Parts: sequence; C-alpha cells; structure tokens
Amino acid sequence: MANEDGADVVIVGTGIVGCLIARQMLDAGLSVLMLEAGPRVERWQIVENFRNLPPTLRLHYDAPYPPKPWAPHMESYTDAAAAEYLQLEGPNALAYRQGYVRYAGGATWHWAGICWRLTPQDMRLKTLYGVARDWDFDYDTLEPYYTRAEYAIGVCGPSDSSLQWPPMRSKPYPMGPLPFGPGEQRFTEAAARIGLKNLPSAQARNSRVAYDGRPPCCGNNNCIPVCPIAAKYDAATALPKIEARGGRILANAVAYRVETDQKNTIAAVHYFDPDKRSHRVTGRIFVLACNGIETPKLLLLSKDERNPNGVANSSDQVGRNMMDQPKLVAELTLAEPLWTGVGPVQGSSIMQTSQGDFRSRHGGALFRFNNLARSAFGGVAAVRKGLVGRALDAEIRRLSACTAEIAIEHELLPDPDNRLTLSNKKDWLGINKPNIYYDVGEYVRRSAKEYSVPLVRKLAAELGATDVQVSTEFTHSDHIMGGTIMGANSAASVVDLDCRTHDHPNLFLPGGGAMTTAGCGNSTLTMAALALKAADAIAGQAKRA
Amino acid sequence: MRSRVRPSGLKVPNLPCLIGCLALAVASGSWAEAAPAEVERGAYLAKAADCGACHTAPHGKPFAGGLAIGSPVGTIYSTNITPSVGYGIGRYTEAQFARAVRRGIRADGANLYPAMPYTSYSVLTDADVQALYGYFMHGVAPIDAPTPRTDLPFPMNLRVSMMGWNLLFLNTKPLRPDSRESEMWNRGRYLVKGAAHCSACHTPRGFLMQEKAGEEFSGGPVGPWYAPNITSDLNSGIGSWSQDELVHYLSAGDAHHKAQAAGSMGEAVEHSFQYLSDADLNAIATYVKTIPAIHAASDHRSRFAFGTASSDLGRLRGKYGIRDQESAPTGAQLFQGNCASCHAPFGQGSKDGYYPSLFSNSVLGSGNPNNLVAAILYGVDRTTRQGQAFMPGFAGGPNDLAALSDHDVVLLANYLLEHYGRPGGAVTAQQVAEVRRGGPSSSLVALARAGVALAAMAVLTALFMVFRRIKRSSGTS
Repeated sequence: MANEDGADVVIVGTGIVGCLIARQMLDAGLSVLMLEAGPRVERWQIVENFRNLPPTLRLHYDAPYPPKPWAPHMESYTDAAAAEYLQLEGPNALAYRQGYVRYAGGATWHWAGICWRLTPQDMRLKTLYGVARDWDFDYDTLEPYYTRAEYAIGVCGPSDSSLQWPPMRSKPYPMGPLPFGPGEQRFTEAAARIGLKNLPSAQARNSRVAYDGRPPCCGNNNCIPVCPIAAKYDAATALPKIEARGGRILANAVAYRVETDQKNTIAAVHYFDPDKRSHRVTGRIFVLACNGIETPKLLLLSKDERNPNGVANSSDQVGRNMMDQPKLVAELTLAEPLWTGVGPVQGSSIMQTSQGDFRSRHGGALFRFNNLARSAFGGVAAVRKGLVGRALDAEIRRLSACTAEIAIEHELLPDPDNRLTLSNKKDWLGINKPNIYYDVGEYVRRSAKEYSVPLVRKLAAELGATDVQVSTEFTHSDHIMGGTIMGANSAASVVDLDCRTHDHPNLFLPGGGAMTTAGCGNSTLTMAALALKAADAIAGQAKRA
Repeated sequence: MRSRVRPSGLKVPNLPCLIGCLALAVASGSWAEAAPAEVERGAYLAKAADCGACHTAPHGKPFAGGLAIGSPVGTIYSTNITPSVGYGIGRYTEAQFARAVRRGIRADGANLYPAMPYTSYSVLTDADVQALYGYFMHGVAPIDAPTPRTDLPFPMNLRVSMMGWNLLFLNTKPLRPDSRESEMWNRGRYLVKGAAHCSACHTPRGFLMQEKAGEEFSGGPVGPWYAPNITSDLNSGIGSWSQDELVHYLSAGDAHHKAQAAGSMGEAVEHSFQYLSDADLNAIATYVKTIPAIHAASDHRSRFAFGTASSDLGRLRGKYGIRDQESAPTGAQLFQGNCASCHAPFGQGSKDGYYPSLFSNSVLGSGNPNNLVAAILYGVDRTTRQGQAFMPGFAGGPNDLAALSDHDVVLLANYLLEHYGRPGGAVTAQQVAEVRRGGPSSSLVALARAGVALAAMAVLTALFMVFRRIKRSSGTS
C-alpha cells in the first residue's frame, strides 16, 4: 500500500491511557505514533462552544464537542440525536448512553476529575461475597501503579488517613485537598448526623499551586464539560508534552482494522483519513486505548480467517461484561439556601456505603452531593414556569440557591450478557456502529430498592429538604468498563494481568475495558493505573525484542 | 561608604538561607575556618545581589553555573562560582574575587562580559566584598562540574575588547554618602546602584550595550520583556506609588491595580527582594522614590490609569453557534476563551488580586507592548511567601495552555489594549515574533564585523597605496 507509516509502539487513542503509555514509551527511548479518530482543537474553542450554548443545552456535556462526520460519538441534545450512533437495547438500554468524545485528548476533556481507587474488597467479590469474579491480582499489586498514576496526572486529596479512600497508600497525595463549598459542607454535616462520612474526593485538580505546568483551580465550576484553564488534568494537556519528547500524533485518523500476520501477531493497523483514503501503520507493539466501547468494536471489526470471532476474541469475551455505575438522582428542594456551586462540580462522596456484607445480595452505592451550580437548572425551570420580570428573577434565585442534587452510583457486576456487538448500521465511513445490550440486573435493582433509595431519603430529610424526587429510571455515569475483561485464564478473559491480549503477544488493551469489576467510584484512576502497569510490560517487551 | 546589614532585619527573612549555608558549612567540613556572622552577612548580600539568578541553572546545584543567558549579541553561559578548585573559584584570593566582582576581570586576567553586572557591583564596599568572599568560600558547597564555554561570534569573542569598553563605561569611583540625605536614603541608593543592580535592566542601553548616561532608570528591554521606567515621573514612571506599595511589590511581586512582577522582575522578587529585610526594602523604596523623573512625551497619562471594566459578552453570545470552531477567531473570542476564566469576563480580575485586573495595569498601560505580549506567550510563575502566582503561557510550548499563533496574539493583545489598556498602540506580528524569539537582537555583531572589515579594507588600501608608491618610485627611478 502506498501510504505506510510506523513506529516502535503504535497507540490508537489519545485519551488518558494512550497518553500515559506514550509518555513512558518515549522516556524509554521508543518511537511512538498515536492515532486519533477525531480532531485536535484548542481549549479556548471548546470553552467558547460551551459558553455559547443556550441554557437548555448547558447540561448536555457532549454539546461543546460536535463530532466530525468520520468520528461520531453520542450526541445527547435530543433522543433522536442520541440514538444516531450508539445502538442500544435491553431493559436498561437508555442507561448506557455513554458520553465520551472522539477528540484528541479523549473523554477526560469532560470528566469531573474524580480519582477514587478500588478497595481491596472491590477486587475480591467472588471470595468475599460469592458474586462476580475476583481480580487475579490483589490491591497491593495495583497500589504502586495507583500512586504513580496520581503523581503522573496530579491528584489532590486529604493527608488525614481517616479521610482517605481507601486509606491503604504508599505515598501521600501530590497535593492537599480542595476545600468544600458551603453546600458540600452542609451535606457533610447532615451525613455525619446519621453516621455517614462524606469524604473529600481525590481529584485530578490542582489545589493552590501549579502542577506539571498547569495552573491551580480557580473555581469556574464547569469542570464538566471543560476546564477552561486546565487546572483539572485532561489528556489534551499531555499531547504537546508527548510531541516535545518526539512522539507523533495523527488526528482525524480513524482506525478500522487490526491486521494479523501468519504467526497471529499484529502486523499493522489500518485507518481512514477524512477523505476516506486508507493508510497502513506498522509497528512492533500495538496498543488500543479507545476504552470499553471503541476498543471492542475495533477488535470485532478486525475478524479474519485466523480470528473468525474478531481479533483477541478466542475466549468469546470481547464485547461482553459491559459495565458502568447505574445512577439514580435525587432532586431536593429546601426551605433555606444551600449555595451549591462554589468550587469544582464534584468534590466529595460518601464511600463507606459501597462496602458491606450486603454485597452478597445487592450492590453497594456511592452518594455524591453534586456541586454543579444550580443556576442553569434554576433558570430553565423558572422560564418554563412562564414567569416574567421580577417574579422570574426571584424564582431563578430561589431555585439556584434552594435546590440540590444527590447522585447515587451503584455497583454493577460483570455480566457476559451485557454485550457489545456490531450493528448492521454503518457510520459515515461505512464502519459498523456499536450495538449494546444492557440490563443493570437484580443486583443493582435490589440495591436501589432495599438500600440506596431509602438511604438517600434519610439524607435528604437530614439536610432539611421540603421535597425529594428520586428518579426511577437508571441513567449512565459515563464510566465505561468491561468489554475486554482481564484475567489469568485465557478461556474466560481477553487480556492477561498486564492488559496484553491472550491471543496476540504484541497487542495491548489497557484501560477500563480490562477492569474485572467496577466498584462504585469513577473508573479513571484504575484505568490509568492499569495503563502504567501495561506500560512497564510493553517497555520490557520492546527492549527484549 | 559604610556597609551595614541590620541584624534584626536579617534573621527572619534569611532563616532558610542561613540554615542552608550552616548545613553546607558543616557538610563541607569548613565550619572551623568560617566566621559564621561574616558568612551569614555574605549570604544575605549574595541574595541582595541575586547571584543565584544567573549562576544557578534551573534545577541545578546552587552557584554551579551553566545557565544560558540570551544576550543581544549571543548566548553567554554563567560560570561555576562555587569554591570548587577545578571548576569554580576555589583558587581565587580575596583580591582576585574583588577584581572579578567590581572590575569584571577574572583571576587569569581575562575580561568578563558585562552580562555580569560588575558595572553595578563596582560600588560595593570592601567590607561587603569581603563578606561575599567569605560566603562563597565557606558557605557554598563546592561543585566539581564544568559549565558550557561561552562562545560569542566574532568579534565579540575577543574578550580583550572589553578593556576598551571598561575604559569608556566602567565607573570605578566609590559611592560617597550624601550627607544631605538620610541614612536610609543612602542605604537605599547603595543597594539600588550596587547589589540590586536595578539599572542593569531599567536603564536603556546604547549602541555598545552600555547603560545610557542621562537616561538612568527610564526603562529598557530585558530579553522578551521590558523593564519599565521606574523614575519618579508621575506618568512615565512610578511617582504615583506609595512607599508601602513599592515595598509590597518588592517583597510579593504585586501592587494591586498597578503592576505584577513577571519575567526577570518576577525572578528578582522570588530569588532576591523577598529575602531582604523590611529595613532594606524601605531603604530601596525611599531612594527609588527620589530618582529624578524622566518623562516620555507620549505619556499623557499614568500607565496605571488606563482602561475600565468592560465586556463584549452581550455582543458575542448567541451569535456564534457551537459549530463555528474552525472559523477565524476574533480578539473578543480569544479573550473570552483564553483569559476571562481567570481575569473575569469584564477584565476585573479577582477581588483578592490573585488574578490581576487587566485595566489599571502597567502591562496594558505601557507604551511598550512587550510585557503584554511576553505575558501572553510565557505566562507568569513567581513564588514568594505569599504563595505562588501562576499564569500559564499560550505560546504552544509543552506546558502551555494554548498554541496561539503570532496573528492570534496580535488580535488578542490589540483587543486587550483597546478595551482595558492604552488605546492606539497597535501590536504587530513582527513584534510578537520578536518576543517569541526571545527579544530584540543587536546589530552590534554585524556592525562590529563590518567595522572590522572596513578597518581591514583601510589597512589593505593603505598597504596597496604604499606598495604602489614604492613601485612607482622604483619604476621612475
């Protein structure tokens, strides 16, 4: 083929996982080529996109990231738009409308920056509670990678171990915690009165000082959908650092096939450019870092005579065990102002509720006071009431100050029936769209019914709520996990304990897809830790070769 | 001139340094030889003279040199001034040390380039030079490591040329106390003219890179930045500043609604001024406030008094859809997208001043736009006891928040000047490119080369004439 390129390590995807690996490969003296399906844009363009949004679209976090025709992602502004790309089915289909952006920098562009670790118990569900699977290594194996990840991206958190989650740490957080806003403070006090501890979140956000050239948080309170000053880590900030070390990044390069050779090792990745021309990229080691939806999709698209079920899929586990934390939301109205919205959009959570012997019967749950300023909700709600003039102003103020939201994120078990397959529907380039069947299962439904919803009502009452509306339909947390599940047994998993595929020695699939269980917290730090564990293995393998 | 360092003022600000040098003295085993009080005084003077600014490379060992200093005539590498015998100044006698500091002459007799501010240090008293010597010999750990050789282009590589330069521009007369002025004023003058070497940046330089006589402290370029007029002129200078504002600026790098230290001044505050005693900072301020005013005719208003809070938000929002991201930006969009998240949508900054307001700001009120452009490209990073003041750069570097093109910076800078600053000053792409390159380069090298070539031509012509004359005379004879 005419258009050929290559590097020692070829990385598909420029999100947090791809960028952490790229940096380590470059530091190890290996050449790196990164392929990104979407465009590469300047931060200020996204900031302006966001600020130009009408209030009704403010809460659609994908809205400032209009996808390119060749790199579609889910757009949520209407149900019809949302149904365009991700094809969803099953009892909880709508709860898998995962928001991620196919832009250089990936979904960390619009994450909240929350960096919970899994607990030792989260990794041993089978042994301790007789459900799901155990991870095939323990927390102590993962801990050094968690710490490295926290230092790589700059995580702030409490130094008091009684406020850390979990407190088993080899090093302190690189930065001290951010203070609570007034709403979070009130919520913490209310929780304490019923015996619950609201912990300051570990978050990839600079508190008080610059970190890795990025400024401290100045409280714009729009971490989602974009930190305007990069006080929050996002992988877009890693891109110029990678290039400064000699890494190459190709934007608008849509990988659509992984090519195997006679020995069933990976020989190349093929991609389309926006003119629909195909290109072939060779390398010694390949990393697919497109997270739990795009990575299994690409593997399934790549089936060949040696791999009839798709690349890396001899176990038939590619695309199975799709996970997230199914979320319910409690909307509170209070008599007194609570003043939500000072500081970052998320700064704390009740974590102890994710643990307990009840896990043999139902999942745990995380409770989070959402600190996103309520003015957008309040504004839209007040206008919809048909108010005008002073009455409108007063109602906007009341709704902004005297309402609050508590999110409940539930622990979901890996279920092989929650499965991603290729849809018959094709995208602009003629690539099959992903199709996902999703059922949160009785484990989650029991958790909501018997445990989390009664508890959130207690919390709301303690906070002084005059009205509480708890959603009845589960929604998505945008924490995509599963899809290329990890394990020591090659018959029951896709990747080994270094995220290397069991089937192809030079193909790595690090990130959320590899997670064996989900826990209740945001998956990103675990993805980053797995990326660094894989990076050690990749660098070692590249040097031996 | 008597040198007095007040012990009461010395102890508190200088404690970390003191502990550091005591530790070093113990570590190097020279404790017995050093007179602690003298070493301590020398350490303070080395802070006041900001020796570390040039002689310590980023993340390098203290005073081990190796910092690349961009000068208009080429890159000069600072030297190792630790007491290392092989690589530093370990073999220097006190007299040799004094000659290097005050006369710019190395122990081997070679001349230093005036990147070393010996023209300022020339006023240092014998007692202070002695204290500095004591500190560098006994309070600094020897680092046995070489530094890159400075290799300026011809003819600047001929260090001997500096002898003529020194003859023209080096003042060797000591500073005599002015009995009409207070002790404080005299102390301030001694620090400003000597150790703090303020004029090295704040006085414009002439054709031969000398500080221009008669224009002292009226402002001059420092690499990509501009060290502004600090004379007592009300409009062009800092005559409108109070004593307290000046002292606070020197110790924290910030004067609310006036100016913030960045670039070389940020470094001077971080590495030097913040460690000076309140008494010395007040002395400096006392003297600076009396520097004779130098007025630029174009400065009709104080550079701290331009602009007001304003915003184009009303005109911006609702016009541009979210799919407009690939069209060419306007200055207003660049401001809202890159600056307003910290400096606020009306340019008013934050109430506590951590994020400075853009109006009433020296950077935007100056007739010279270099600091505006340099702040946009390089940002600010200054750490004092008040904490870190940090603004990212927007030049497209590995740590920068954005990769603004020269054209983007022109749009943004002119938008800012128009709305928050001194109107009418149009920043050009050439100016931005020059700041991005690191500041103006001097035509001195080319001119000097041309001069040498001309001189050579003249010699050749003369020889030719003589030869012809001889030939002719021999022919006719």
